[in-house]
Amino acid sequence: MIESALPQVERENGLFEVAVDPKKCTASKKEMERLLGYSDNRIDDHFSREIDKVLSGMADRFAVRAGYRLLEVRFDAQRHDGFFVGDRFFVTQRIVAAQMKNAEKAALFACTIGPAMEAWSRRSFRDNDPVTGHFIDTAASDAAEKAAAVLHDHIGLIMAGGGLKITNRFSPGYCGWSVAEQHLLFSFFPENFCGISLTESALMVPVKSVSGMIGIGAKVKRKDYPCDQCGRKECARRAFKKESTSTKGRV
Amino acid sequence: MNELVEKIGHCVERGKINKASPFPGNMKGQDGADELTRQALEAGMDAEAILQSCIAGMVRIGEKFGRNEVFVPEMLMAAKAMKAVTEHLKPFFQSGSVQAKGTLIIGTVAGDLHDIGKNLVSMFIEGNGWNVVDLGVDVKPEKFTDAIRKNPRCVVGLSALLTTTIASMSKTVREIKALFPEIKIIVGGAPLTMEIATGMGASGYARDPQGAVTWLTDIKETA
Repeated sequence: MIESALPQVERENGLFEVAVDPKKCTASKKEMERLLGYSDNRIDDHFSREIDKVLSGMADRFAVRAGYRLLEVRFDAQRHDGFFVGDRFFVTQRIVAAQMKNAEKAALFACTIGPAMEAWSRRSFRDNDPVTGHFIDTAASDAAEKAAAVLHDHIGLIMAGGGLKITNRFSPGYCGWSVAEQHLLFSFFPENFCGISLTESALMVPVKSVSGMIGIGAKVKRKDYPCDQCGRKECARRAFKKESTSTKGRV
Repeated sequence: MNELVEKIGHCVERGKINKASPFPGNMKGQDGADELTRQALEAGMDAEAILQSCIAGMVRIGEKFGRNEVFVPEMLMAAKAMKAVTEHLKPFFQSGSVQAKGTLIIGTVAGDLHDIGKNLVSMFIEGNGWNVVDLGVDVKPEKFTDAIRKNPRCVVGLSALLTTTIASMSKTVREIKALFPEIKIIVGGAPLTMEIATGMGASGYARDPQGAVTWLTDIKETA
């Protein structure tokens, strides 16, 4: 959790870029061990040293770019599968729509840690060092998620200044919201916003990027993800949620 | 089984590649899969017996993974140790005195660029005695069908990480099955479930590398 709002620049009406310190997005040694599945200090010394190398090497290897656009939210009483953001209807399905209920505005956001960590991981695999490649990939995925969390907190602090609250953050591809709506979400951003582009199949490039939506309003609440309402047992969000109790490393 | 051959299998299970390798900590300074395989072959031991011992080592580490006793890094080290062994066994594979279990053609389907999961699965399957042809990422259906023509008795593995690329995976399954109805196809990746896999016409689904190996072993035994 950040203590105060971060520096931000308004690029155009309602579109902001936020300066996120990469240090706030780097996992601790303990977090890395837990992400890899080692929760009880039984990691081999060799792996432990390799994790140290990755954590110290990643500081110079990535920069965070993050931003968001603020838009009005409108609900259609006849539809429960989505809502209007600006002039476009997002079919988020019921789980996200229920969480966004009472939102007056939405912050559509995107952030990335850039392509360098991805390239470093690929290089390690190519150089016959898959363990390091796996550690780098794990650290990079976590850094992208942490960047989104920092941006989320920042938006929360900015809104709190105006007496407004925020919801949890939701991304296309999770909670029943089709990843294909990524195209709709990015239509509200200028081309190559924060250095992120979308492929035809809605894949963000660089891959270590996170995008989504946060509800804003006087009556909204930041609730935990309602994973019990979703059928996707293998969801990465569910894995993140269970992280503190899980002992299984993610592939 | 000969003690040396057994030790090679143990090195594979523990991921002890060679003497210089610092992993695992409690085997530091000991000969690894590399040195022991060379010694065994120089002593005239049967290459097939060495291979079987190593495959048994890979099965044991896979089972430990399934029980959450080890994690992906240990699996990768085991696969690397296995690779050290197979380097020595290459001449026996080439002469036909030792045979791979089969050929798996693997790739991440068109529209998807994720390859870490595919690479891990690929290494583990190779370590379990399969010949793996890795077509990379963003692989179009025709590249799969071309590779099948070159390896007509193969099994195909398709990977995807995005829900949007499930459609691309379905298309790939359909196009492969249209040309090669007898080819078995296993699919895997975060957005998939057994139900989705069955729905798209895939022959199998695995949620992790060990699941893929178990499925491949099963289809080989029932073939």
